[in-house]
Amino acid sequence: MADRQEFIDLILDHYDHPRNRAAMVGADAVAHGGNPGCGDVVTMYLRLAAGDRLTAVTFEGEGCTISQAAASIVAEKAVGKTLSELAEMNVEWIVDQMGRDVVASRTRCAALALNTLKAAGERYRAARP
Amino acid sequence: MTALSTFDSARICADFPILSREVRPGVPLIYLDSAATSQKPASVIEAMNDYYRRSNANIHRGVHALAEEATALYEGARERVARFINACSTKEVIFTRNATEAINLVAYSWGRANVNAGDAIVITEMEHHSNLVPWQMLAAEKGATLEVIPVTDDGELDLSTFDDILQKRPKLVCLTHMSNVLGTINPVTDIAAKAHAAGALVLVDGAQSVPHLPVDVQTLGADFLAFSGHKMCGPTGIGVLWARQALLEDMPPFLGGGDMIRRVYLREFKANALPHKFEAGTPAIAEGVGLGAAVDYLTGTGMAAVHAHERQIIAYALERLEEVPGVTVYGPKAERKGGVAAFSLAGVHPHDIAQVLDRDGIAVRAGHHCAMPLHDRYQLPATARASFYLYNTMGEVDALIEGLYKVKKMFG
Repeated sequence: MADRQEFIDLILDHYDHPRNRAAMVGADAVAHGGNPGCGDVVTMYLRLAAGDRLTAVTFEGEGCTISQAAASIVAEKAVGKTLSELAEMNVEWIVDQMGRDVVASRTRCAALALNTLKAAGERYRAARP
Repeated sequence: MTALSTFDSARICADFPILSREVRPGVPLIYLDSAATSQKPASVIEAMNDYYRRSNANIHRGVHALAEEATALYEGARERVARFINACSTKEVIFTRNATEAINLVAYSWGRANVNAGDAIVITEMEHHSNLVPWQMLAAEKGATLEVIPVTDDGELDLSTFDDILQKRPKLVCLTHMSNVLGTINPVTDIAAKAHAAGALVLVDGAQSVPHLPVDVQTLGADFLAFSGHKMCGPTGIGVLWARQALLEDMPPFLGGGDMIRRVYLREFKANALPHKFEAGTPAIAEGVGLGAAVDYLTGTGMAAVHAHERQIIAYALERLEEVPGVTVYGPKAERKGGVAAFSLAGVHPHDIAQVLDRDGIAVRAGHHCAMPLHDRYQLPATARASFYLYNTMGEVDALIEGLYKVKKMFG
């Protein structure tokens, strides 16, 4: 288990060097999310293989360190999951990824990207019953 | 400074039990969030505790000893509040839940009776949501219009269009006495004189001013003044609407129920006399008693001394904040504002600032501080805000600055 400083280093690394931060051309689904209270915004893009497995996830966004690092982490970790698996990922999961001690008071920031990506997944499913 | 010679920070800090706690082991609390809510002196906590231990009973009805004692304590608090703001009579002091409810009381009672389709209500760009949303709701319901006094780049009201606005013969001008973000202290008396000359009434949001500066309703110029107990060393759940007696006499009741009636028939009622006409149901009695103790505490310290102390703190805080590279402080210069500093740090989100400062026990607020339109004005999603009160010290300002350098190092 990583300690507090290691989680902070991980978060700052994702914030300073975001993975997969780009608009996606030809995405299968896109969703926008935001926390109006603090001005965090993200757009999550996803692409699927065989209509079910995530083969690429990218994001664009602006906001605090936690919200943007979370988007980078989610974009990295969600690839390879099925839509059902994505639907199972929850706030607890992202909080654990980022260090409970560090983000417990900021769960709205931490959960924004994940919830937005899940919304994109649900939108894709809803459009193809 | 003479004001400071009577102002003993160490003694004042000792009056507030919470200020001696550690946020985490070895990390003392540095509380710079009093604009959100103030801390409470032991005398307030004890007054409420004593009330429940010794005197608890419902007020205004029973004839037993405890009921009389509780009533005397609650009404005694009203007398203290009336003296504190120099009201002409306790009939002018209506207890509410908070400043928000006080403003809503005016919007519902006075507003519904006096505002009609096409009437104008004036608001300002620096208002807290509590002095915006009730008027938006009233305007929507009545088909009234909202006229807005804008804010300058320096964080003051831009009164260049005020004469034009008054040409529209507004019914009411609503403004804050002191901005909870910028700290700006508005020239309420001048604005009220102009508004009155144009036939408008004036509602002042005193949530940030009554706790921090001497406020005298007989010279302020307001017709309505709203403030909250919890921002002035008192408990949550109790606030005040002050209004001129003649206005209150003419206004219809707000909430209906017990205590606000003189006589009830099956199909109608006669309203009670002031101030009870506006206080339906069992009120927050212990909280009222606590507010009375808070007023005693502030009176004992002296509001002029509180204000002078905060002026020194904010002047020092602004000076130190401005020396931190990348910091921008919003609002006017120290001499034109109260003890509130909203700021940003280039490249760092305010929530990140607040979280890093919290590791050192420094409590600041990050967000829009219930003033979204004001943040839109400066194109900011959020700011960090340090706000000061009588118990804060220059050393705590130094700790804030040290903390900001840590934030910069972390995000550098």
